[in-house]
Amino acid sequence: MLLRGLIASVERGLNRVLRMDGTALPRLARLQGKVIEIDCLSPALQLFILPSDEGLLLASQWAAPADCTLRAPASSLVQLALSKDKTAVLHSPQVDLSGDSAVLLDLVKVLQDLELDWEYELQQWLGPVATQLFSGHVHSRARWARQGFDSLSQNLGEFLAEESRTLVGEREAEARFAELDQLKIDTERLEARIERLSRSLDSSDNA
Amino acid sequence: MAIIFPGDSDMNDQRKGSDAEPTTHFGYKNVPESQKAEKVAEVFHSVAAKYDLMNDVLSGGMHRLWKRFAIELSGVRVGNKVLDIAGGTGDLARKFSQLVGPTGEVVLADINASMLKVGRDRLLDLGVAGNVQFVQADAEKLPFPDNHFDCVTIAFGLRNVTHKEDAIASMLRVLKPGGRLLVLEFSKPTNKIMSKVYDAYSFAFMPLAGKLITNDSESYRYLAESIRMHPDQETLKAMMVQAGFDRVTYHNMTSGIVALHRGIKP
Repeated sequence: MLLRGLIASVERGLNRVLRMDGTALPRLARLQGKVIEIDCLSPALQLFILPSDEGLLLASQWAAPADCTLRAPASSLVQLALSKDKTAVLHSPQVDLSGDSAVLLDLVKVLQDLELDWEYELQQWLGPVATQLFSGHVHSRARWARQGFDSLSQNLGEFLAEESRTLVGEREAEARFAELDQLKIDTERLEARIERLSRSLDSSDNA
Repeated sequence: MAIIFPGDSDMNDQRKGSDAEPTTHFGYKNVPESQKAEKVAEVFHSVAAKYDLMNDVLSGGMHRLWKRFAIELSGVRVGNKVLDIAGGTGDLARKFSQLVGPTGEVVLADINASMLKVGRDRLLDLGVAGNVQFVQADAEKLPFPDNHFDCVTIAFGLRNVTHKEDAIASMLRVLKPGGRLLVLEFSKPTNKIMSKVYDAYSFAFMPLAGKLITNDSESYRYLAESIRMHPDQETLKAMMVQAGFDRVTYHNMTSGIVALHRGIKP
């Protein structure tokens, strides 16, 4: 019952978030009637997801058969949730996907494409003027933080590569990797020649 | 008027009084069968307006999780026909409407006009329309064709029915073969300590809360008494088997305070 309560709370929160994107619910409506089973192997936990035009219904069990079943350990599920290349994760040996995989991929796509209109939600509480002032402040802070982070990472990279020489620079590393690749190809070519030479020597001895 | 105490083992509705008319229980009281429906109706007319609030207060919100479990076990899918008897304020009907989609059908039935009105208004206010019908109907004589529904539910309603056997038989009749009946109802706690605590809670707090919130302590005294008079888990299971249901199982929730029975029509 505790788990059911927890799932109900997550469902409520998730649907609230989904309602903040104007396109999410109509897209979920196209998946209405589908049942997705997420079967976490370690720790053992089952979750059923039923999309509809009102959001997602989450359940710890479901009496009807699922259209799509995803079985994987928790680590793979987290990886699947965060990874951009979901197909690669789905093809890994720890992940077992059965049924109509398009249903799951469609659901993931809807969740990935979420663009939350949090200002609209905030406006319900604070009113339009206060929300505009607040969101303007948040946007400028976010822009400043993003620029600051980009600048910091660039400066740090340059310092480590160019000044302290702790790390090899990107271009230098690429040149060295190219040399290594060329060396590898040359070695393989040499190995093939020696092989061919030894085979020709063996055949002349036999003659 | 005779008083029946919870210790009495006979849960059968067909009790005979000293006069000619059969009697049945109304809480701990024994009343002529013809009067029970009217008395139950009075209770629900009285509490209808604040029914949801009282449910939340008295169960601490747990009734939502109990109903959620019933929905999980219903296995309802798109296009299904669902009958929610004693549907009250439409908690289950709302979820079923979402699950069956535009090609399905949900019937919210209640014998009590006040409850049905509250349920209808609430669902319409929430934008639930199109695949939901509202029918004032007696669970013992359901006005639907045979083999019509994929799933029939009755949540916290069966204990108020005068002839439970007739109601279960009527639900069996309207279900399609393979259809599911789900009975969500208060039952007998499985833990003795919990039972004592629950008794104290039911007979002290519930009437008091009823008095404070709806100014009607008697209705909530009836609620506590009717729960004690309702068949326990095994008795209700036997009644469903007797009616003709197959694969009857039940799940206790919150230490048996509530049980969900499920049976399949063969």
